[in-house]
Amino acid sequence: MRRKRMINNAVKNGLLALYAIFALFPLFWMVLISFKSDAQMFNTTFFFDPTLENYEAVLLRTDYFKYFFDSVIVSVIAVLISVLAGVPAAYALARYDFKKKEDLAFTILSFRFAPEILVVLPLFMIYQKIGLYDTYFGLIWVYQLITMPLLIWVIRGYFEDISVEIEHAAMVDGYTWWQVFLKRLLPLIKPGLVSASLLAFIFAWNNFTFPLMLSGTKVETITVASLKYIASDTVHYGQMAVAATVSALPAVIFALLIQKHLVRGLSFGAVKG
Amino acid sequence: MAKIELVNITKRFGKFTALDNVNLEIKDNEFFVLFGPAGAGKTTLLNTVAGLVMPEEGVVKFNDEIMNKVDPSHRNVAMVFENYALYPNLTVYENIASPLRSPLYKKDDATIDKEVHRVAQILRIDHLLERLPSQLSNGQKQRVAIGRALVRNPNVFLMDEPIAHLDAKLRHHMRSELKEMQSSFNSTVIYVTHDFLEAVSLGDRIAIINEGKIIQVGTREEVYYTPCNEFVASLVGEPEINLVDGRLIADNGKYYVEVLQKGYMLPLPENSGIIKKLIDSGTTEYHIGFRPNNVKYTFEKKEGLLRGTVYSFESIGNKAVLIAKIGDQFLRMIAPNDLKVKLDQDVYVELPINRATFFNAQTTQFIGTSDEAAIYRLVQEQLSKGVQ
Amino acid sequence: MSKLIIKNLYKRYENKGRKKTDKNEFAVNNFSLECEDGEFIAILGPSGCGKTTTLRMIAGLEDITAGDIFIGDTRINDLHPKDRNIGLAFEDYALYPPLTVFDNIAFNLKAKGVPADEIKKRVMEIAPLLKVEDLLDKMPVSLSGGQKQRVNIARAIVRRPGILLLDEPLSHLDGKMRQALRTEIKRLHNEIKCTTVYVTHDQLEAMSLADRMAIMNLGVLQQFGTPMEVYDDPANEFVAGFIGEPPMNILKTTIIKHENDFYFTFENSDLRILCPKRYYDLLKDGMQVKMGVRPTDIYVGGPDSKGTPVRVAVFEDLCAERRIGVRVGDELVMMITEDETRYRQGEQIKLEVNGEKTHLFDLETGNRIRPKK
Repeated sequence: MRRKRMINNAVKNGLLALYAIFALFPLFWMVLISFKSDAQMFNTTFFFDPTLENYEAVLLRTDYFKYFFDSVIVSVIAVLISVLAGVPAAYALARYDFKKKEDLAFTILSFRFAPEILVVLPLFMIYQKIGLYDTYFGLIWVYQLITMPLLIWVIRGYFEDISVEIEHAAMVDGYTWWQVFLKRLLPLIKPGLVSASLLAFIFAWNNFTFPLMLSGTKVETITVASLKYIASDTVHYGQMAVAATVSALPAVIFALLIQKHLVRGLSFGAVKG
Repeated sequence: MAKIELVNITKRFGKFTALDNVNLEIKDNEFFVLFGPAGAGKTTLLNTVAGLVMPEEGVVKFNDEIMNKVDPSHRNVAMVFENYALYPNLTVYENIASPLRSPLYKKDDATIDKEVHRVAQILRIDHLLERLPSQLSNGQKQRVAIGRALVRNPNVFLMDEPIAHLDAKLRHHMRSELKEMQSSFNSTVIYVTHDFLEAVSLGDRIAIINEGKIIQVGTREEVYYTPCNEFVASLVGEPEINLVDGRLIADNGKYYVEVLQKGYMLPLPENSGIIKKLIDSGTTEYHIGFRPNNVKYTFEKKEGLLRGTVYSFESIGNKAVLIAKIGDQFLRMIAPNDLKVKLDQDVYVELPINRATFFNAQTTQFIGTSDEAAIYRLVQEQLSKGVQ
Repeated sequence: MSKLIIKNLYKRYENKGRKKTDKNEFAVNNFSLECEDGEFIAILGPSGCGKTTTLRMIAGLEDITAGDIFIGDTRINDLHPKDRNIGLAFEDYALYPPLTVFDNIAFNLKAKGVPADEIKKRVMEIAPLLKVEDLLDKMPVSLSGGQKQRVNIARAIVRRPGILLLDEPLSHLDGKMRQALRTEIKRLHNEIKCTTVYVTHDQLEAMSLADRMAIMNLGVLQQFGTPMEVYDDPANEFVAGFIGEPPMNILKTTIIKHENDFYFTFENSDLRILCPKRYYDLLKDGMQVKMGVRPTDIYVGGPDSKGTPVRVAVFEDLCAERRIGVRVGDELVMMITEDETRYRQGEQIKLEVNGEKTHLFDLETGNRIRPKK
């Protein structure tokens, strides 16, 4: 029995390793070529003289940092607004009973189901009419479709898992409702809040469709701006790689930071203990 | 310390009436037990006193002051919740200290430290102060929950089935410890339970509640010896009371009840006043209650005893319950742990008619008891209360 | 109907979930017992003691690390569960939701190819024993917890197994339902006399149902005997404190010799109990042991009593009986009585202990020190 189990494990691990290589290789390659000069691009594979000239070209001699900061502004503020509005909404859905409550909850969730490409055209026309095209406010507002549903669903689960008796106990102890919320409830939803916010940030950061169609030159996120680096005449693969690598960095860093908490944070609310 | 009154309280949740015109008066410093089966409305009643739930009708009074519009934090009540409701992210020390850090009941750090340690010592959890609730056993969590209440000096302590979720051994032990601790509470206590032993052990007075209505309020002797109806009689007592059909038979100036089998007559005792009560009750059909510890049995055939077979024999810790089947009826009685008995063997049962409780078979209401000793004790109690 | 023989059974813990600091390597440690044909055996112990693991090894749901299990004359270690001729009724009823009660009970027989009229005969034979004859065409979803458990057990015994295995079948039921079903299981066993192994953590259940009980703690068998044997003649401190409600009072004591007699004495207490003569050969002045005495063997002495004066710490009036607790040193010693006298907390009483009914346990090992006959 034991030998069988050991062979099983070896095969499982082997297959997983193979898949890991398959999945990660493109990313590895991308980072690799960002350090390759144009001259060495096609005649070397893994061994070459690394250079920073691509980084210099992209980061210092283009508007790269403007695009980067546009992404930062839009993503961070979008998540912030989702938190400020979403947490109370989640509390209401968890604690109160009202007509059509589940219909409302499902509607909020359904925003994530709809393919962006479907809604972006009508949104484009509306935004043009009301003057929100190519504005920070406009993008931040439309980003709520991406960031808020996730937050509400995760935080709602967390609130539902906190026994209402804890709020009762705190009230009986002598705390007002606000103090109960700030001092007792918030610390308990922190893991979920952090991981859901970071995941929402990653989704917002990576979004391409909305900034592409609903904003132009005044607000340009890094995802849309990356297109610029795919020139039609001379393709500077190295520079493209730099643009892609740097723009992926925040998402990757955050994901690594929260990976341990990600599964726990997101599923904790769902599983009834 | 306060006198608590509930006046005409009715609470509905949608179409469901959880509390139906409840009236209770709980004396200052009384240990008052609210006893009833699951779903009776006990927790709702406690929550109404605490202000966590608003009644549709009626008022809650603390020392004659109406509290309906006062929110829970301002009512100065301390509560022990059924599932402990400990703050998961705070240590045991901070959990117990929590009320003393709130804006309403704030104390300075030195006092907090003193009080937390005092209470932790009484509850024997002083070695656990730095732990988190997740690192505690159920028994320890329950003590912390009690500790968080004990640091207060409230108008009333509200305890919601605090030992229900402990395993049997620990529950018995904690009940004895709660009894020992009773004097430390030094305030009015309303204690909710569905366990009969907790109710009679701890309560100065017991209120029986079922389906949102208060059925009877009295001391343990009153609800045990003079339950107001069959429901109360069945609820109060373990093993459950035996209720058998009986009929009043008069024969030449002597009175008997015919029970269980046609022609089986038991003479009613003359001096307990029960005969008069039965005649005055207006019916001759009764349900007669016999407590299992009063029913006698023997395995030798004896004249005048009821013959049945042994249906089951089960241990209850230091004694056993013997169930005899007589016709369609089952009678429970107490037997020693080491009794050698075979299932279905013959057994002869004696029903103690001089320690019986009589109920109107139709209305299930209490008519009277033939238990003179009990009557005597109850009368003594009334007299001693009158003297005070 | 078969004998069950377990010889030197071991089960090593799998690594996952066990911390490195756990000293206990075995979930079941050298467990042996022999069960007669038709006997009802209970395996009793606190959670984590290894009782369910043992049952699962008998059933074939867990691998056996070492040791042998025989059902009848057959060694079943390597047999697939379905070939072991056992009936299983576990805690979680797991009835097949789309089948009626009849089909649920008959399921296994059908799978084995038993002809339909034989199936009907057997189900109709079994159903009244568990009082489910009125439920046969109902669906599991409409049954109460108690009814589901009855169907579960019926399903297990309709196969006429050599051994019936029950794992805490009553733990999800509430008080009255549990008592009623407990009585039914006892009567059922009286009827069909199927060799049964019943796992529980509830000592009252074990005491009521078992012909003999195996008490386990931390994977090790503590004692195997009839209910009265484990109650009156416990093998060690663990068994003595586990069986009986309220539990036996077990106190650390120092033996003092005074004028040819030995006495039990206790720290921070004036209490002195005369040791029973049958222990005298084993006692030495200054010896430290643990003494156990049941709450039924402690009394409040009358006015002329020479018992030790103590103060009542707890007085519980439970109507049919009264429980009095006194503090001996730091320990709360409980006694039970049907005497009608009521006491107040703090009131002084004279404590008498029936020394003849005391048990001695070794301070270190907890083993019972039995008097030489």
